[in-house]
Amino acid sequence: MSDKVKIAYFDFASCEGCQIEMTNFGDAAFLELLNHVEVVEFREAMSEKTTQRINISFIEGSFTRESDRKRLEDIRNRSDIVIAYGACAATGGINALKNHQSDYKQDVYGKDADMPHLESTFALPVSAAIKVDYSLNGCPMDRNEFIRVVSHLVHGKQPVIPNYPVCVECKMNETVCRYELGDHCLGMVARAGCGAPCPADGIPCEACRGFVDNPNEESLITTLMEKGGLSRERAEARSRMFAANCRADAPHKIETPNK
Amino acid sequence: MNAYFIKDTDFTQFLGKMIEAHKVVGPKAKKTRFVFDQIKKPEDLRLDYDVTILPPKKLFFPPRQELVRFHGQKASSCIHPEGTILFGVHFYDIKAIDMTDQLFRETNPDWNYLANRECSTIIGSNIQNVYKRAFFSSVGKGVEPKGHDGFITKISGGYVYDAITAKGKNLLKFGAFTDATEAQLTEASKANKEVLDKCPEKLNNESLEISEKVRNQFKSPMWKEFSEKCFSCGSCNLVCPTCYCFDVQDNWNVDQQTGVRERTWDGCLLEDFSTCSLTGGHKENFRETRASRYRHRIMRKTSYLTAKLGGPACVGCGRCAGACTADIADPVPVINRLMEV
Repeated sequence: MSDKVKIAYFDFASCEGCQIEMTNFGDAAFLELLNHVEVVEFREAMSEKTTQRINISFIEGSFTRESDRKRLEDIRNRSDIVIAYGACAATGGINALKNHQSDYKQDVYGKDADMPHLESTFALPVSAAIKVDYSLNGCPMDRNEFIRVVSHLVHGKQPVIPNYPVCVECKMNETVCRYELGDHCLGMVARAGCGAPCPADGIPCEACRGFVDNPNEESLITTLMEKGGLSRERAEARSRMFAANCRADAPHKIETPNK
Repeated sequence: MNAYFIKDTDFTQFLGKMIEAHKVVGPKAKKTRFVFDQIKKPEDLRLDYDVTILPPKKLFFPPRQELVRFHGQKASSCIHPEGTILFGVHFYDIKAIDMTDQLFRETNPDWNYLANRECSTIIGSNIQNVYKRAFFSSVGKGVEPKGHDGFITKISGGYVYDAITAKGKNLLKFGAFTDATEAQLTEASKANKEVLDKCPEKLNNESLEISEKVRNQFKSPMWKEFSEKCFSCGSCNLVCPTCYCFDVQDNWNVDQQTGVRERTWDGCLLEDFSTCSLTGGHKENFRETRASRYRHRIMRKTSYLTAKLGGPACVGCGRCAGACTADIADPVPVINRLMEV
């Protein structure tokens, strides 16, 4: 028996891009990590499955079908630590765009719209079904953050998940603010940890890591209108892309799992 | 005689020789703004800058700084200072560096800062263009800029260079300097005096009065009003030349044996700054509301540090006002209103 930390990957409603991001890490880093962890289930990269106890489970994807609850509970029961892996699992991510709409099914699936496995309700974070210990935020999740969180857990430390906005990272990078360039941005309410690459590359932050714990949404809308030049309608809808479930008007209140 | 003159036509050559011999950091253009960065070509130096996004303290106290590298139980220092010439610092930033020098030196000297600081040469420059949010002429008027090694002032036809220390005199060898004439000195002193009248914003009271009165407004309901739009994004802290708070974390490399203890800038406007761990996995935030965090920053700048620093912990650069997307961070209207109560 190996005394390495056993880790497993599971997926729900998602593009599985966060798991692919893991394999994108490159040989050196990924193989090095395998000296310290044993991957016991990872559908994207191996065919073996496990029914044994797991030390850390990484769950990708949102919880959007009641029928998935049992599988999630089973993973929880077998795992010491559950980590919501990527935006869809952590906040519902982009899937939650459907939560304020009702006409998407026919548009997306056409003649297959009534097939039973497509029956779904709100796209919710995994934490809506089971207790989640930590979240690896972002679309996709950040592999450096992944290494940091896994390392902390391997060493028995509590990883710190950022609860400060993207503005912090733009300032540290000395990026010229989007608002100064006549653009707009969601960085003031968006959870950081990504290193703020988007504003540095000249595009606004879309808050793909969701909101900080206590975003000032009213001030966001005012700023988007007054400084960003957006209409009220657009300003109010602007943060739905990735953060629909983090908003005050979300149909389901997110329990933030970040300790 | 420590005052010299160099002609415009000789200045480029002076810069060229200096950057050939030393690492020189100075103001450079970045899109619509300016940043302190390494000057590799004389034409990159923009002494006509108004203000930089981050203050020059980042040279001694970078946003992310490795403190210790470790390998298992063994640790080694990350202090490897590189002698740098910091060229073209406005007087308000010189004042701020003097404050962070004092704060990092007191009690338990912080060598991660001081090692970088002590091997640097700081050359000030006059303000050719005033930032749209600046109020440097009405804050801490009794606090003289000090701690720099030289100061250069643009006048007609060239620059007057005041070589203050031996380090400052060391730069003379790179250029065709002559002794400055009385007329040139008068022109330089006039330029430095006149710029003080050009600040777009102004505090209505003296720093000592402000210090006392603002402190007495601790329970004012106005803090809530001032901070209503606050995002708690910390931008005002992060661009401030006198803010010096940081967070320290250990991070392992992927090999799980080696790693780095790193410090990163922190700020009292951020919600987690004042959040403490308690036993049993509980947390407590001792400045839980936006208003209390907002008040704390203004108090730190106007009142809490004045006894220690001999003046306010604010130099009037206006960076916080410009960096605040909600536009509520500007201390001038806030202080002026509190003084009217």
